[in-house]
Amino acid sequence: MNERPLQYGASASERQHYIELVKQHGSPLLVVYRQRLLQQVSLLRAQLPGVSLYYAIKAFPHTGILKILADADVNFDVASAGEIEMLQQLNISGRRTIHTHPIKKDSEIRAALRGGSTTFVIDNIEELRKLLPYRQRVGVLLRVSFRSESAKVDLSRKFGCAPAQVLDILQQASAIGVHIRGLSFHVGSQSLTPDAHVSAITHCIELIDKAEQQYGRPMNVLDIGGGFPVDYAATGIDYDAYFEPIRETLASSLPDHIEVIAEPGRFLVAPAVTGIATVAGTARRGDYPWYYLDDGVYGSYSGQLFDHAIYPLQVLNTSPERQASILAGPTCDSIDVIAEDILLPELKEGDLVIGHMMGAYTYATATRFNSLSGAQIIIV
Amino acid sequence: MKLFTETLYDALGQSFRIDKVYFENKTEHQHLMIFHNAMLGRVMVLDGIVQTTEKDEFIYHEMMAHVPLLAHGKARRVLIIGGGDGAMLREVLQHSSIEQVTMVEIDQAVIDMAREHLPNHSRGAFEDPRTNLVIANGMDFVRDTDMRFDVIISDSTDPIGPGEILFSDDFYAQCKRILTQDGVIATQNGVPFFQLDEVRTTAKRLSQHFTDTSFYSAAVPTYYGGIMTFAWGSNQPALRHVDIETLKHRYTASGISTRYYTPEIHKAAFALPKYIVDAIDGSGA
Repeated sequence: MNERPLQYGASASERQHYIELVKQHGSPLLVVYRQRLLQQVSLLRAQLPGVSLYYAIKAFPHTGILKILADADVNFDVASAGEIEMLQQLNISGRRTIHTHPIKKDSEIRAALRGGSTTFVIDNIEELRKLLPYRQRVGVLLRVSFRSESAKVDLSRKFGCAPAQVLDILQQASAIGVHIRGLSFHVGSQSLTPDAHVSAITHCIELIDKAEQQYGRPMNVLDIGGGFPVDYAATGIDYDAYFEPIRETLASSLPDHIEVIAEPGRFLVAPAVTGIATVAGTARRGDYPWYYLDDGVYGSYSGQLFDHAIYPLQVLNTSPERQASILAGPTCDSIDVIAEDILLPELKEGDLVIGHMMGAYTYATATRFNSLSGAQIIIV
Repeated sequence: MKLFTETLYDALGQSFRIDKVYFENKTEHQHLMIFHNAMLGRVMVLDGIVQTTEKDEFIYHEMMAHVPLLAHGKARRVLIIGGGDGAMLREVLQHSSIEQVTMVEIDQAVIDMAREHLPNHSRGAFEDPRTNLVIANGMDFVRDTDMRFDVIISDSTDPIGPGEILFSDDFYAQCKRILTQDGVIATQNGVPFFQLDEVRTTAKRLSQHFTDTSFYSAAVPTYYGGIMTFAWGSNQPALRHVDIETLKHRYTASGISTRYYTPEIHKAAFALPKYIVDAIDGSGA
C-alpha cells in the first residue's frame, strides 16, 4: 500500500502565506500557483522537445488555468461541448484543440465543429460513420490500445482498437471516403515507467509506415497521449531518466513529416495546486481523535476515490506528541474520510490542513453533496 | 502579429491578419468577432467562419437580393431570414417598388454589433420606414406567420449551428406556404467545391416543394474554395428564364445601383459547372 507523505510544521513565511490566504478568501481553498504551472509546461517541453502540448482540460476545467496555459502557447485536448464552450468564452480558437473522446453523440460533433474543433479521435468504424456527413471538414485520428502494466489507471480497456485492427479500419475508412490523418494512444494515467510509451510509439510508427505504403496517402500526426507521472509519494522522480527513452525513440525512428502531440493533464496541473482546509470540529471516538475538515472526499479530495490518488498532507503544528487520528470530511456520509490511522499532533478547531499535489482530478470530480459549495479556486 | 485562421476545415484554413479587434464575444447563440484587416476592411466572423467583409460583401448581397427580385419583376413584399449585418436589407430596399421588408434575425447581438461596428453594411437600412425587424427564430416565424411574401431570401449561417433548421425540409415547406403564387425563394448554399453534399441535400429537399429548383453562383473571394451557390425554388418556372431585354428594362426601372450585378451576370449565373450539375442530378432532384 502506498504511504501518504506527511509533513509537520512549515516555515514562518509558508505558515503566514496559508493563514493570510484563508483570512482573505475563507476556507476551503484550492490555490493555483501560476509559476508552478508554467514550470511544469517548461519541464515537459524540455523533456519532449518538438512535441506540441494539448492540455487535457478534464483534469482541472477552470478558465483561470486555461488562460495561463493559452498565454504560454499550450493547446487543448477537449472531450465535451462544455469544455469547448469554456475556450470560446476565453476567445481561444478551436484551431488550438483536438477532440479526443472516442465515443460521441452527433450533437457533440456538431457543437465541436461550431467551436472550431475539427480534429476528432475515433476507435471503431461506427464512430467513423458518424463523421461521414462532415467528412470534408474533419480530420480523424484513430486511437489504438496498448496496455501499460504499470499505469495506475488503465485506459486501454475502455477505449482504443487493437493494433491488429488498424489496417482494416484504415481500409474501411478509405472505402467510405474518410482520410485518417494519424494515430493516437493513451497508455493510462500515472504511468510509472516509460516502457509503455516507447513500445506504443514504436508500434504506431510501423503502422503509419505500413498504412502509407498500402494507401499511398501519408498520415501526419502521432498523438502519444498523456499519463506522465507526478510525484504523489514525494520520493522524487528522475524525469531525465523517465523521458529519455521516449525522447530517444522519437528522435531515432520518427519520420520527419509526423507531428507529435501529447495530451498532458495531470502532469501539468497536479503539482501546481494546493488545497487548504480548516478543522471545523473535533471529537474523540474510541481510541481515535477525529478531526472534521471543511473539505473531503465529496469535494476536493474526490480524487482519492475516483483517481486512486493519495495526496501529501501537511499540518502546521510541530508538536512531537502525535497520535493515530482520523481526518474526515464535512458531509454526513461515513465514506467521507480523508485519512485513517494518520499520525497527527493534536489539532484544534480552526487549524489548517494543507493538501499538496491537488491539481488533477480534484475539483474536476468534486460533487455538491450536502449542498456544500466546495473549495474556492484562487490563482496566485 | 495576431492572425485569425478560419476553423471551417481541418486540413486547410485561410488566415487573415487582425489589425484591430472591434468586438469579440460569445453571444447567446454564437461566438462573434469583428476585426479590421488592411485588405478587406472590417471582417465579421461567426463561430470561427468568415461571414462578411467590407471589401467583398457587395458580390454576395447584390447577387442574393437582385437576382430573385429582378427575376420576379413586381415584388412588393420581401422576407429576409438572417442577415443580421443589414446589408441584404440595404440591397432589397434599393428597389423602389418594395413596400415592406420583413427581416427575421435570431440574434439581436449580431444586429447591435453590426450597427455599431459594421455601419457600412446597413447604411441606415434599419431606420427605413419599410423595414419590419423581427427578432425570432426563422423557423418559428415561417411556421407561425400569416403574412405572404413575393420573395424570400435566406441569408443564413452554415448548416452547422443556429442556421441548421434553415436547411430543413420543414423550413422549405413553410416557405412555400407563405410565398405568393409567383414567388421565389433564394438561399445561401455554401461553396460546393468543398461542400458538395450541401448542394445534394438542398436540391433533394427543395424539389419536394417547388416545381422549379436550381442553383446559381458567384465567386465571393473570402468564401474560400471558388464559386458559392445560391439555391433557387419557385413554382413559376418562367422566373428563371426571363429574357435579357426584360431584365435590362427592369434593372433600369428599379433605380438600383450595383457594382457586381448586371443583367448579363444574372443570366450567366445559372450556368453551372458539370460537377455541380452531376451532383444535383445524382441527388434525384
